[in-house]
Amino acid sequence: MKKPPRDEPRDDLTVTPPKTWAAGVPAVVHALEYSLAQTSPKETAVDLLTMNQVDGIDCPGCAWADPAPGHRHRNEYCENGAKHINDEATTRRITADFFRAHSVSDLAGRSDLWLNQQGRLTEPMVKRPGSDHYEPISWRDALDLLAGELKALDSPDEAVFYTSGRVSNEAAFVLQLFARAYGTNNLPDCSNMCHESSGFALHETLGTGKGTVSLDDLHHADLIFLVGQNPGTNHPRQLSALEQAKRNGARIVAVNPLPEAGLLRFKNPQKASGVIGQGVRIADRFLHIRPGGDLALFQALNRLLLEAEDARPGTVLDHAFIRDCTSGFEEFAEHARQVSWDDVVATTGLTREEIERVRDEVLRSKRVIVCWAMGITQHKHGVPTIREIVNFLLLRGNLGRAGAGACPVRGHSNVQGDRTMGIWEQMPDSFLDALRDEFGFDPPRAHGLDSVNSIKAMREGRIKVFLGVAGNFVRAAPDSAVTEAAMRSCRLTAHVSTKLNGSHTVCGRTALILPTLGRTERDQQAGGEQFVTVENSMSEVHTSRGRLKPASPLLLSEVAILCRLARRTLGTGPGNVPWEEFEADYSAIRDRISRIVPGLHDFNRRVARPGGIRLPNPVNEGVYRTATKKAMFTRNTWRTPDVPGGHLLLQTLRSHDQWNTIPYTLNDRYRGIHGSRRVVMVNPEDLSALSLSEGDRVDVVGVWHDDTERRAEGFTVVPYPTARGSAAAYYPETQVLVPLDSVADISNQPTSKGILVRLERVTP
Amino acid sequence: MSTVEETIEIAVPVRTAYDQWTQFECFPRFMTTVKRVEQIRPAVTLWIVGLGPLRREFATEIVDQVPDSHLTWRSLGQRHGHRGEVTFRPVEGERTSVTVRMSAGPRGLTGVLTAVPGAARRVLRRELAHFKAYIEGHGEASGAWRGTIRGGQVRPGEPEPPRSRVAGWPVG
Repeated sequence: MKKPPRDEPRDDLTVTPPKTWAAGVPAVVHALEYSLAQTSPKETAVDLLTMNQVDGIDCPGCAWADPAPGHRHRNEYCENGAKHINDEATTRRITADFFRAHSVSDLAGRSDLWLNQQGRLTEPMVKRPGSDHYEPISWRDALDLLAGELKALDSPDEAVFYTSGRVSNEAAFVLQLFARAYGTNNLPDCSNMCHESSGFALHETLGTGKGTVSLDDLHHADLIFLVGQNPGTNHPRQLSALEQAKRNGARIVAVNPLPEAGLLRFKNPQKASGVIGQGVRIADRFLHIRPGGDLALFQALNRLLLEAEDARPGTVLDHAFIRDCTSGFEEFAEHARQVSWDDVVATTGLTREEIERVRDEVLRSKRVIVCWAMGITQHKHGVPTIREIVNFLLLRGNLGRAGAGACPVRGHSNVQGDRTMGIWEQMPDSFLDALRDEFGFDPPRAHGLDSVNSIKAMREGRIKVFLGVAGNFVRAAPDSAVTEAAMRSCRLTAHVSTKLNGSHTVCGRTALILPTLGRTERDQQAGGEQFVTVENSMSEVHTSRGRLKPASPLLLSEVAILCRLARRTLGTGPGNVPWEEFEADYSAIRDRISRIVPGLHDFNRRVARPGGIRLPNPVNEGVYRTATKKAMFTRNTWRTPDVPGGHLLLQTLRSHDQWNTIPYTLNDRYRGIHGSRRVVMVNPEDLSALSLSEGDRVDVVGVWHDDTERRAEGFTVVPYPTARGSAAAYYPETQVLVPLDSVADISNQPTSKGILVRLERVTP
Repeated sequence: MSTVEETIEIAVPVRTAYDQWTQFECFPRFMTTVKRVEQIRPAVTLWIVGLGPLRREFATEIVDQVPDSHLTWRSLGQRHGHRGEVTFRPVEGERTSVTVRMSAGPRGLTGVLTAVPGAARRVLRRELAHFKAYIEGHGEASGAWRGTIRGGQVRPGEPEPPRSRVAGWPVG
């Protein structure tokens, strides 16, 4: 184990050619190197060998599904998962001395990389009004303080309760129950910023907000689209599924503004062919699309399929499926036939021939899956784009069938489960009725605030108390300057956290740090040692059981913190929620969940089985809970992004050495960026047009129709094969450029993949 | 691709025989070559079959299924490729004639079996006899799935499976 760094890492950029393959031996070396710098060899071994195993620790990294029990590798994790879990299992500790040595102002000037490297939080801390230091506080006083502030509010709607996807099903259920018993539906979550567009689009058109495929479907697909996602960095274990699919004869079409290494080739480090061989080619076709061009692409593909049906009637479309199971086909078809090729070419940056070749791939394939991630959802047209993908799948009956379907790839391990547990500001009355009947209180019915609207409400002074359970809200949220000012305007901000991050440094008048157990740690309660449950991206609910000794005896579990807070805030009412029983034994929570949440009946017994519970997806049972009771074709319109001369469309993205908002180093190995994160990647032809050169220093300036200047300062220009007219830079450094009002239609999700910017040269 | 076909007459009504056949996860209770079945969803099942020391695992897709009439399936993936059909025909006196027809390529367990003259037929005949003994002994099916599948997709028209009183909601 290495000591935590005293100073920020030196910014010293070097650039090498981007990699054309992902994983391989370097992935193993980097994972072990980072793990052993954080913790001991013994703990590294315990973590890694139980990670993603039946009855082991669920990787908190991403939500990719595990293979069925009996089919898992001894090492069932990826480079980034190994780094992430040992980042949590670090033996570095933050104590009261640390906070005596570093004021909040000092910490606010530090990077999230540096803050994270300091180690695990070990005791509750408070920053009192007027003070610039956190100081120790007992759990009793900390929770009394928070409960007192909540009780003193004029209305429960003056508080918000934010959740990140690390939170277990049990803690999520308890949190939403507490918020609603307290009297508000203000439950923003990280989904609001990642896959909210997927939820809205799928729910409207298919009647379910979840993906319809399993790992087996991917293995048996004929054709897989990877659209707006970067599996090599953000869901590396997906590459194993893609490798299997290729071995079974699948073809893959990748659609992305950047030719990411993981889209091109995968060397599986668990196989000899991946260690000493060439690995497997991932994308058979790569469409170098412009950011936000995906709706135009799929609409053009749909037009081509309709025309192919015209040319050879009865051979292209699945007429029986369209007739029996869908609505709105005629209106959709009329609309899709009118799409203009000039508009498509201008918006996608692709040629008609490229799209026609993809059509031919589709026509040769009986089973098609479309996978997507934030390259789709974080655009103004995110919802209509996914609806158009659904149209594309419906045309040839690629839903509800083995080897076919819709696959939104989620990023955080339990982000889907948290929503299943009722973490949503707009839960339907049927769910609230069930809560009422189960617990004997009437939950509030007025919709609450999502993430963007929470920031707006804070800015306007309508929110006084912010409680974040996991996550790094301030960095994850858009419009950094606005968000920071909003947080600082709160009377109290409190965070339930394992490690220090930027959100602890951007405080309300009073601030609390409530340190909690990590996934890796044993959770001992009055009722015995506990496990928690999580739901992956493919709707499988399973257990996660920590193995390590907690980082400090003063840590409480998330469930314990929330139950104690609830008792202090609510006293004996309303209703009859057994908070003490919940804290003592999480199976009591699961019993209640089983009576409320669809598909989780008999939760405790069924989740104990190896592999857990597979939640049924109504689409795969021929049931569409939509307005028409059928899968719905929709008509979707779009506008070519208006990018004036001298401007670029910026997308924010993660580096390979980063987990969500937290960078581990300044390197991005796959993209060939080393030693710096303040880089902006631009197509060389665009650089020429902008009279810029490699190494030039620029400010990235956002362009938005308000009077606010949004500027990310001091970036170095790197020529990179981004799609023409676009640029890419790291998140969260460029969140400052994403206007709070720049959101996806319908889903209200920030448009972090489509920000109009200009580059201003800075004279050294 | 080689094909085997076997028919057996069972002393239960067609609905009883059909309903029991839809309970795939029960098959290991009475079939000796079927070791484990997991129903992923109505049209997709995972099978572990074994004969002697051999074990094979594969997924199958039900391509067509009509209650009290027939069910066709095919294996997913290329390694153990086979397809099959089971038909149910009412016979006078509240009895049912069940016919299973299976075709397999040269590879995989079924391929090996069909390559040995008579072996596949003997296994199939034996397992159908097990099915007959099971359902006749019980006299009623242990469960039922009455849905219809066409082209691998569950089709509407059947009552929605009983669910929670709580409606679904978007998952972001």
